[in-house]
Amino acid sequence: MSALIIFGLLLVLMAIGMPVGVALGLTVLTFMFSFTDTPIASVALKMFSGIEKFEIMAIPFFILAGNFLTHGGVARRMIAFATAMVGHLTGGLGMSAVLACALFAAVSGSSPATVVAIGSILIPAMIKQGFPLRFAAGTVASAGGLGILIPPSIVMVMYAVTTNSSVGALFMAGVIPGILLALVLGATTWWQARKGNYPRLPAASWRERWQAFRKAVWGLMLIVVVMGGIYSGLFTPTEAAAMSAVYAFFIAVFVYRDLTFKQVPKVLLDSANMASMLLFIIASAVLFSFILTSEQIPQDIAAWIVDMGLGSVGFLIVVNVLLLLAGNIMEPSSIILILAPILFPVAVALGIDPVHFGIIITVNMEIGMITPPVGLNLFVAGGVTRAGLTEMSIAVLPWLYAMLGYLIFITYVPEVSIWLPRTLGMM
Amino acid sequence: MLLKIIDRLEEVIIASLMAVATIVIFVAVIHRYGSGVAIPGVQDWLLAKDLSWAQEFCIILFVWMAKFGAAYGVRTGIHVGVDLLINHLKGKRRAFMVQLGLICGVLFTGVIGIFGASFVWENGMAYEVLTALGRDVGEHFEGPTTPDLEWPTWIVYSAVPIGSFLMCFRFLQVMVKFARTGELPSHDHGHVDGIEEGEVTEVGEAIEIAEQREHAHAGMSDGEWRKTHPKPDDEKTRGGK
Repeated sequence: MSALIIFGLLLVLMAIGMPVGVALGLTVLTFMFSFTDTPIASVALKMFSGIEKFEIMAIPFFILAGNFLTHGGVARRMIAFATAMVGHLTGGLGMSAVLACALFAAVSGSSPATVVAIGSILIPAMIKQGFPLRFAAGTVASAGGLGILIPPSIVMVMYAVTTNSSVGALFMAGVIPGILLALVLGATTWWQARKGNYPRLPAASWRERWQAFRKAVWGLMLIVVVMGGIYSGLFTPTEAAAMSAVYAFFIAVFVYRDLTFKQVPKVLLDSANMASMLLFIIASAVLFSFILTSEQIPQDIAAWIVDMGLGSVGFLIVVNVLLLLAGNIMEPSSIILILAPILFPVAVALGIDPVHFGIIITVNMEIGMITPPVGLNLFVAGGVTRAGLTEMSIAVLPWLYAMLGYLIFITYVPEVSIWLPRTLGMM
Repeated sequence: MLLKIIDRLEEVIIASLMAVATIVIFVAVIHRYGSGVAIPGVQDWLLAKDLSWAQEFCIILFVWMAKFGAAYGVRTGIHVGVDLLINHLKGKRRAFMVQLGLICGVLFTGVIGIFGASFVWENGMAYEVLTALGRDVGEHFEGPTTPDLEWPTWIVYSAVPIGSFLMCFRFLQVMVKFARTGELPSHDHGHVDGIEEGEVTEVGEAIEIAEQREHAHAGMSDGEWRKTHPKPDDEKTRGGK
């Protein structure tokens, strides 16, 4: 009963269109005030203590690191490197777009920024070369989401914090699925290009490739700093995030010189703005999951689903459908913060590996970025190409189908996700 | 004028908190490994410094940043909700729903601000203030302190009421502006620096150059061209060395 009241209230408040954090917070306040005797003043303390965890602080640091490198200059270097490596294959610039998106997204950590940075350079170039608009925009919009699966990923930190999983293990688990998904998107691009007989570029020499690599490698080393630092045990994930922020600052200001000292405060301010927004939702989500737990709702749902005899196979179908639907109307962080506390206990009860479950959720979030009506990548790609949302939704269809097929693969073959962290002894 | 000062102050505070937190953790990590390296003099000096408070300090900095930043976020329109239904409405109905959402924002932040303030008052501020004024503290007790830094928690937790009231004020500001002009602040998630409009031609030119080179090589790739046309051309197209 209380579950119905809580979720009903939340749905109504969210439908009004208020910020997700406010909707979560007001749901808790209203419920506590009307239906429980819990001292309501403790809510204020929870707004502080909810985010009083060192693990959560990886989020602002990763945002800062990403923002230092979210710059047209870095995008150009990634594009040059990607084009030198794969531009001569069938699909030409389309293939370089997939690789450049994967690289830039991993470093910048933002899917929409990737679509804009890579898209505003490569989409016009592709159109000029004779690629159809749909193909050009579809490639970039779908590959732009790769960043949330390739570590370091803020969405994964969110999942880890909400479910008390290991950030390091999740990051490591994302490596193989991330590379595989890039390959799947590349294969879709290749196949599309072969059908349409689109132009390719002349192959670059190994010397050119080396030159391009040397320029791009400083940005890519960010991934090495984070993953190497965490894996070797040199840093905790949060420390690795802070070190990567300092590294990114150093590269952007002194090596790439894309940023001047004068622009640094602006980067700090923008990062703080973004991070605060996420921390606000986290604080409210902690409140929300506190009330869920005190009302025993996750346990009840877990018992109910286990009783239904769905088994892990059926449950994962339900989870995927639910997450895809949620992905249609909400952005990734809010979905994870609201749904993970409910779904996670069920997954654990059914014997699904927590890390594998995290990867399933992440892939779902990635698909949500390119499904209308709220797929953020569709909007920004539409902005770059000046095409409408409907046009963009049709444009990404081939890649969307490929990703849905890939989701089924990831869901039912847990080894892909957990083999690497297990082999490395991280879980 | 006063508003401008508050705006500016808000920006300076959150940007500085971000910077300081990063530097603190960076220095703490460097210190941890630096003090393991046996450099005479330096090592002793490093070992004498105790940086075990860095984590706690970083958390406090970020929570303060989060509370002020959330208020700043209302001003920049970064807090988004599910606007699917609202965007289907038009005119007065939409305006009504938007205002309703904003009122909820005011309500929530206001309530949290009041609760936060009373919590801070009960947990040490009252004792502190009344003692300072030389009054009878009555039932108020000296508040707890944080584990590492041993700062009074009421000062640390005062981020909640201060931040919430500031956020409440920002929501009110947005309400007034929306009522007057019908405009809402909105954040551009896809903004990237260093991407100019001129970029397009630049890339176009680069591709033209690539195409011309391909033509010059009679449709062969660079590799094929070099196999059939050794050294001299190689040096010419690549500009030597």
